[in-house]
Amino acid sequence: MKRLLGVALGILTAIGGFVDIGDLVTNAVVGSRFGLSLAWVVVIGVLGICLFANMSGRVAAVSGRATFEVIRERMGPRAGLANLGASFLINLMTVTAEIGGIALALQLASGVSYMLWVPFALLAVWLVIWRVKFSIMENVTGLVGLSLVVFAVALFLLKPDWGALAGQAFTPSVSGEESVGAYWYYAIALFGAAMTPYEVFFFSSGAVEEGWKVKDLVQSRINVLMGFPLGGFLSIAIAACAAVVLLPAGISVTTLSEVVLPVAQAGGQLALAVLILGIVAATFGAALETTLSSGYTLAQFFGWPWGKFRRPAAASRFHVAMMVVLLAGVAVLATGVDPILVTEYSVVFSAIALPLTYLPILIVANDPQYMGKHVNGRAVNVAGLVYLVIILVASLAAIPLMIATGAGA
Amino acid sequence: MSKAKRIHPLKIRPAPRPAGLVLDAQLHLLDRQMLDVDGVPVSTVDDVELSGPEPDERIPEGAEAPVISALLTGPVLGTRIFGGRPPSSRLIRIPWSVVAGVDTVVKLGVRSDSLDASWVERWLRHHVIPRIPGGRHDPH
Amino acid sequence: MILTDVLGSDVVDNSGQRLGEVSDVRFAVDASPGQLLSKARMVGIVVSPRTASSFLGYERRGITQPWPVAQLLRWRHRGSFLVLWEDIAVIGPREVVLRPGFTAYESTLAF
Repeated sequence: MKRLLGVALGILTAIGGFVDIGDLVTNAVVGSRFGLSLAWVVVIGVLGICLFANMSGRVAAVSGRATFEVIRERMGPRAGLANLGASFLINLMTVTAEIGGIALALQLASGVSYMLWVPFALLAVWLVIWRVKFSIMENVTGLVGLSLVVFAVALFLLKPDWGALAGQAFTPSVSGEESVGAYWYYAIALFGAAMTPYEVFFFSSGAVEEGWKVKDLVQSRINVLMGFPLGGFLSIAIAACAAVVLLPAGISVTTLSEVVLPVAQAGGQLALAVLILGIVAATFGAALETTLSSGYTLAQFFGWPWGKFRRPAAASRFHVAMMVVLLAGVAVLATGVDPILVTEYSVVFSAIALPLTYLPILIVANDPQYMGKHVNGRAVNVAGLVYLVIILVASLAAIPLMIATGAGA
Repeated sequence: MSKAKRIHPLKIRPAPRPAGLVLDAQLHLLDRQMLDVDGVPVSTVDDVELSGPEPDERIPEGAEAPVISALLTGPVLGTRIFGGRPPSSRLIRIPWSVVAGVDTVVKLGVRSDSLDASWVERWLRHHVIPRIPGGRHDPH
Repeated sequence: MILTDVLGSDVVDNSGQRLGEVSDVRFAVDASPGQLLSKARMVGIVVSPRTASSFLGYERRGITQPWPVAQLLRWRHRGSFLVLWEDIAVIGPREVVLRPGFTAYESTLAF
């Protein structure tokens, strides 16, 4: 019974933890402009993150080594530092965006300007990182974040033309006013949002934090294979809501109010309240994950002691680094930059850092010194390689497309 | 750079197998995590120091093979990435005599706090963390 | 001497003909009597005709996955060989000079 409960909890937190501010905004923007014609990218992205999160979790459980240790060890200091630089920048941008997201959601609930909520959000995130146990942090934000399911409920309440939605999803085409370049730009953004590297840094380090062993692998596989696809389903529900309400009305998504508009329209005040709770929890959880990820990547590259299972005094550089990251994120917000805009750029930059992260995971998952008899099977390797090729294409195309389309404008 | 002369494959002989553990420095040592006797991360292996020979000096025939004298960490990492070489006094050494084992990590037989390699960690622990409430307790 | 002084140096024979670059340095640790490891003695250098970049772990025999990453890296390092310490005349920061009549050995590792 306890075991079943553990599995259920794991799945629920994976769903709640999957969606962050990047997924919320990108999916709403895409839905409002392209309908469901990019839903296939979410499916590909979710399969990819399942594959590599599972692989990095397996490496961590079998060998005790988290992903960035593996990157540094196998790719050497130069490529390792290049990845660290890119990943760290993305993490910083994402931390900034998530803290902004918490504050924006609270603004939506209270009417008080989000700038006033930023210090509050910062303090809350830092306190949890400083004082709260890893497992409690994971479970609470994940479970509350599950209230984002209200997007799926709202979609039913909106009574959409299901045939038309399915048509958009299964026979994708670029509508009249939109350019092909913008379509592919957003395809990369969605792919980057689903496969952001911080998720594997967090996932593999979390496996070490929670002391996973080989016997925990089955449960971790169930969590990933059930939780992430259901999270991806939520992403598509967000896009579908936007496609049903915002696309026909010609409303473009520039703030969080437009993201939540379809839910408010379908379910009224109550649904809106549940949704805001879900957004706060999801962005809060993601703020924790990205802040921790920046600490994990730095500590693992340089070989410092790390982990929330150590008291701050026993992992001093790790904890000081995370404080600096949080303060830097807030400093960026204080300049008055739009958190939504930061979000949109960060998911595209994610796509660029992907190859340097996923190649070493794939190589080490095949190394018997690390994995013993738990090396990758043939099917996993074939899938991994197919994804590496997709990732490589996406990362090469990201910057040129960003420039050519004016960031999808 | 001139093209390298190929050694004909048939001239490459099967290698003698030394008894004991064989370590390729780049593969087995460089960039690996070092853990102390309690499993606490100390640092990464950023470079390796050898007992000889002097650079550019002719090695006499029958000379004793060099041995690893220390694993290096710290600023030497910067020179591996950007080139150059730190002065010998700036190298942080972990003597080979304290190394207890080499696997996916390098295990040391001493406590991290006894090594120069962890001075920044200790400095922050004693000068920054105590100023913030709650830093010395386990998380709840 | 530090290791990265040697890694990537050109390797030449006694007539000055270039043979490749140092891609790794091999050591042997003799069976250890006590708790700590005994001395790590230099066995020789691994010379790669094309590149001193890392093999990413594929210098070990029997590691062939994932296709074609393993095969590509092997191919890039084809013709690599091991030269024993006894056959090295000079180790300098730019160049490693081998003794006349040196022997090239297979560089693949068992594990």
